[in-house]
Amino acid sequence: MAHRILIVDDALFMRNMLRDIFVGAGYDVIGEAENGQEAVRQYQQLRPDLVTMDIVMPEYSGIEALQDILAFAPQARVLMCSALGQETMVMEALEKGACDFVIKPFQPQQVLEVVARVLN
Amino acid sequence: MDMTKYKAMFLSESREHLQKMATLLVEIEANPQNSASLDALFREAHSIKGMAASMGYQQTANLAHQLEDSLDHFRQLGQIDSATIDRLLAGTDLLARLLEDIHADRTERSTAAFLAVPIAAATQAAPIAAPISAATLPQTSEQQIRLSLHESIAAPGARLLVLLKQLESLGQILACQPEKNRILSGGNYRKLDVRLKTSVTGAEIKERLKVYSEISQLDIQEPKPPTALGAAMAGSTTVRIPTELLDRFIHLTGELMTNRYMLHSAAQQKNWLSLNEGLGQLARLVKNLHHQVLKVRMMPVETVTARLPRLVRDLARTSNKEIHLELEGSGIELDRAILEELTDPLVHMVRNAVDHGIEHRGTIVVRAWRQRDQVMLQVADNGRGMDPQALRRQAVNKGLITPAQAQIMRDYESFQLVCLPGFSTAPQVTATSGRGVGMDVVKAAVEKLGGVLHIESAPQQGTRMTLKLPLSVAILKALLVRVDEKLVAIPLTRVLQTLEIDSAQIQMSGKHRVFSHHEELLPLVSLRKILDLPNPQAALQISVVLTEAFGRKVGLVVDGFAGQREVFVQSLPAPLDHLKGLGGGTILGDGSIVFLLDIQGILERRRGGEPKV
Repeated sequence: MAHRILIVDDALFMRNMLRDIFVGAGYDVIGEAENGQEAVRQYQQLRPDLVTMDIVMPEYSGIEALQDILAFAPQARVLMCSALGQETMVMEALEKGACDFVIKPFQPQQVLEVVARVLN
Repeated sequence: MDMTKYKAMFLSESREHLQKMATLLVEIEANPQNSASLDALFREAHSIKGMAASMGYQQTANLAHQLEDSLDHFRQLGQIDSATIDRLLAGTDLLARLLEDIHADRTERSTAAFLAVPIAAATQAAPIAAPISAATLPQTSEQQIRLSLHESIAAPGARLLVLLKQLESLGQILACQPEKNRILSGGNYRKLDVRLKTSVTGAEIKERLKVYSEISQLDIQEPKPPTALGAAMAGSTTVRIPTELLDRFIHLTGELMTNRYMLHSAAQQKNWLSLNEGLGQLARLVKNLHHQVLKVRMMPVETVTARLPRLVRDLARTSNKEIHLELEGSGIELDRAILEELTDPLVHMVRNAVDHGIEHRGTIVVRAWRQRDQVMLQVADNGRGMDPQALRRQAVNKGLITPAQAQIMRDYESFQLVCLPGFSTAPQVTATSGRGVGMDVVKAAVEKLGGVLHIESAPQQGTRMTLKLPLSVAILKALLVRVDEKLVAIPLTRVLQTLEIDSAQIQMSGKHRVFSHHEELLPLVSLRKILDLPNPQAALQISVVLTEAFGRKVGLVVDGFAGQREVFVQSLPAPLDHLKGLGGGTILGDGSIVFLLDIQGILERRRGGEPKV
């Protein structure tokens, strides 16, 4: 069975791009969320195998959402998405339990590589 | 889980722990208040118990458990008495025999008889239920992981953190460079150096990290525990090699291949200049390779000296002497083949020091040190020493030398008399030194390795027995000599001097030819005669290799000298290996085979096995 992915990003463009990358590689994108709170709610409902989590989102940040998800499901696999120059935030997320990260702008090959090893 | 694959590791580590226990017990006996040693002792027993139980060796685990329990009791008490140490040593002996059983795939012998008597009155451990919890832990080892990231990778700090997390999931991080906090605080790091305690192998870690394409360099190796090699030696002939060393081999092989092409093209173009240059390079590469390969064969002297504290302690107790043993230079490294051959000679020399050297109380020092490309191993005692006059008398009485020989014998030569078979200065046979094995066996063993035994002594000032050993047996320096148009090699360590003497200097002493050298009359032996070759034509100048056998200097007459060189000695295949006096063969640059002479053996052969010179 294909792995099920939840995409979290406040930009529709990014969500679409990621969706295309994942679907093209045979993954199942089972949900999209545009903010942290929505992400947590969807996670509880859908129980995806992987969440791609944008760090910088209005109101409820990706790091806060990460913490909520891990509090609910400690084994959850959350992959952080960040822009260049946000290394300290990425590290904070990794410290708090994110499994790995990808850097925007996305290079499909790189994203898939990271996703594959996280899911393995 | 299939545990059989862990057996070798279990045995090697358990032997190591046992060895440490024996050493510690002897230490504690000398210093009963040393609580740190008691703690260490307890931990050793605990480790053995845990390993044995997880392997399912019930008797071994039970015994180790009992030892651990009683040690815990004494640890709380803060001291331990001598009688208990005897019992504990007996316990470690029994453990050693159990390990032998396991090694030989036999059923473990019963420990019931030993366990029936409590180690100390207050402690009686209940047999443990198997499997015990601590024991179900998988075998762990330490791995050193060094990695660097590609230059172009974004957010390298975060990447390192991800990798660190991955490693954490494999085991326990013992050390990390740079530290995690520093990575977190945002330093610009691209390298990570981690010591990991883990149950997975280096290859598995490598496999796990393979998916991280951002890693540009990865090096994983198991750090060499200082004594693990020694423990491994006791039972098997495997060695642990740092992967770093293997990398260097590959590197050198690569360079050799490059060199080969360079030589090839230089030869084709008849470019002598670059051919010469290439040959110079080849010489350097081969030397380097030799050096690296030697490292693999090297083991610390400790592997043979580690058992001495226990031995001396037991000998001292049975002979009612007070003996202090000091070990120096235990970290000096020697070829494993040499170390294996040294075990018995060393034990024998130490026994001699206890038996014949030290009268009531004294010190024995076993020290090792490097002297250029040789290793010196010395057993020194501050006991009664040897009296040259008494040695000469005894040798004459036993018919080993003639009174005339005794008269011209120097003091330093007289000490070598103890190496003659059938010579013993001990008025009676003692339990420790016994009869039969003597210094002659020690000397023969050392000389077989291409080494030399030196004995120095003075009455009331003790005795020093020094072994001068080559670093390695496989490659050694040899003197090539000509005899009847053939070349033979003599290990350089056996050559005291080469001489050209006038035939006029040769005198006859009875039936023997002798010559005067520094006012000493030394016997001359013809190598042609020994090898059953035709007599040479009479010459005015005679080439002599001054060597030493059976404690006496001997001049070996050869046709001429053909220089020194490093030779790679290969042992002779059967049935040639039965030929006495041949120590192996080597192939020279021109493809010819040259035999290596075993001086001691060849002179024995001359005497029909009767070693008198």
